[in-house]
Amino acid sequence: MNFAESFRQNFIEEDRWRYLTDGLKTTLIITFFAVIIGMVLGFLVAIIRSTYLRTKRLLIPDILCRIYLTVIRGTPVVVQLLIIYFVIFASVPISKTFVAIIAFGINSGAYVAEIVRGGIMAVDVGQLEAGRSLGLNYRQTMVSIIMPQALKTVLPALANEAIVLLKETSVAGYIAIADITKGGDIIRSQTFSAFMPLIAVALIYLIMVVLLTRLVNLLERRLASNDKR
Amino acid sequence: MISVKNLTKDFGDRKVLKGITEEIQKGEKVVIIGPSGSGKSTFLRCLNLMETPTSGEIYFDGKEITKLHDKEINLIRRRMGMVFQHFNLFPHLTIKKNITLAPVKLGIMTQEEADKKAAELLKRVGLPDKADDYPASLSGGQKQRIAIARTLAMNPEVILFDEPTSALDPEMVGEVLNLMKQLADEGMTMVVVTHEMGFAKEVASRVMFMADGVVMEQNSPDKFFSNPESPRLKEFLSRVL
Ligand SMILES: Nc1ncnc2c1ncn2[C@@H]1O[C@H](COP(=O)(O)OP(=O)(O)O)[C@@H](O)[C@H]1O
Ligand SMILES: [Mg+2]
Repeated sequence: MNFAESFRQNFIEEDRWRYLTDGLKTTLIITFFAVIIGMVLGFLVAIIRSTYLRTKRLLIPDILCRIYLTVIRGTPVVVQLLIIYFVIFASVPISKTFVAIIAFGINSGAYVAEIVRGGIMAVDVGQLEAGRSLGLNYRQTMVSIIMPQALKTVLPALANEAIVLLKETSVAGYIAIADITKGGDIIRSQTFSAFMPLIAVALIYLIMVVLLTRLVNLLERRLASNDKR
Repeated sequence: MISVKNLTKDFGDRKVLKGITEEIQKGEKVVIIGPSGSGKSTFLRCLNLMETPTSGEIYFDGKEITKLHDKEINLIRRRMGMVFQHFNLFPHLTIKKNITLAPVKLGIMTQEEADKKAAELLKRVGLPDKADDYPASLSGGQKQRIAIARTLAMNPEVILFDEPTSALDPEMVGEVLNLMKQLADEGMTMVVVTHEMGFAKEVASRVMFMADGVVMEQNSPDKFFSNPESPRLKEFLSRVL
């Protein structure tokens, strides 16, 4: 079977390309919302942790955050996905995509938290002291002085985390979600040819990752040139 | 104006301040000298409650401030400026924003009023054309003058200086000291930790020698430098003068 024939069989016949485009849509939806949940959760955890580290307040929330970080970063994301789907939401009739968004969001939040915490702690303590000595309260100092500086340093790392998450969602098929990876696999099981669909899937990921990485690099350079003012 | 009674501060097992009792009157310029590690910064930082005293009381305008809640402490800090060794300007904000941030955020001034005030202050510290620059573009001496302007924007009743010239190249020390002298002449109450003995002699109404967490000796500047009593101070002065 030549290339053109194989291409036709894997993608054109019976509109099999739809497995890829529908899958891509699912992948992007999961990634997009998981990134949002991850950012919200991650910032929350990072702020709690750095507040505890800098002021010794919020001990109990800090302990909860540390447990969360240890568990999430100490177990594979697939296992987390399976537990959330088959254990936590076992008896709840709920959309699988929703479950995946929750699972990947919770997972990503742990990594975002550590990135953001690093950024906050990297801001000189003198900044907090200067803010507080002027009479600003802790929250005002965080919002107006610490976070803008921290955010600038962690933005590229956060964008990279989002890119990593895009690839990580490829295990969504474990709970029978038809994401793009699963889509390629379905084609393979129908046509009994592995090369075409799987390479296509890999290429689509690669193109997205390369493009997004470019964007991040651009962003990084913009931020760096801002620094020199 | 500030009254300190039996102030102590421990960091863990380490007793850093071992019982300080002091009065600082309105308009006074108190200069604190002493070897590194003797607790000068800690003392200063206790005055505006950046450090929480372990025991003892601090009164500001007759009111005890050591047992206040956070909200009230924030109000006290508005009235006590602090100038740091490393300036601690906000690098992500323009000079003007550095100066106006606190008064505007705290609702003391509108942005317009604060901008006007910033322009006045920049003139006063001799940097009228720097409003829209970022701190990174300034020299150390300029940064410290902006930090002083930032503090002045809050109209403080007293300013605490913690080694304001120690991080500066020698040729920039003068411009900062001159500004501080100017403030002193205008009647600002000042508590200054410094190694600049010339400044102490010229500007101080009182010089304190801190060692091992206590105020070991204090006097008017002329007596302090010409007639030191304790051996520790004699030895210290012989090294720094
Ligand atoms: N936050 C802190 N935690 C623990 N030890 C501290 C802290 N701040 C100061 N110290 C200790 O207290 C002592 C006095 O410090 P400091 O007040 O900074 O002295 P000085 O300003 O006179 O050099 C030093 O031994 C220092 O190590
Ligand atoms: Mg010090």
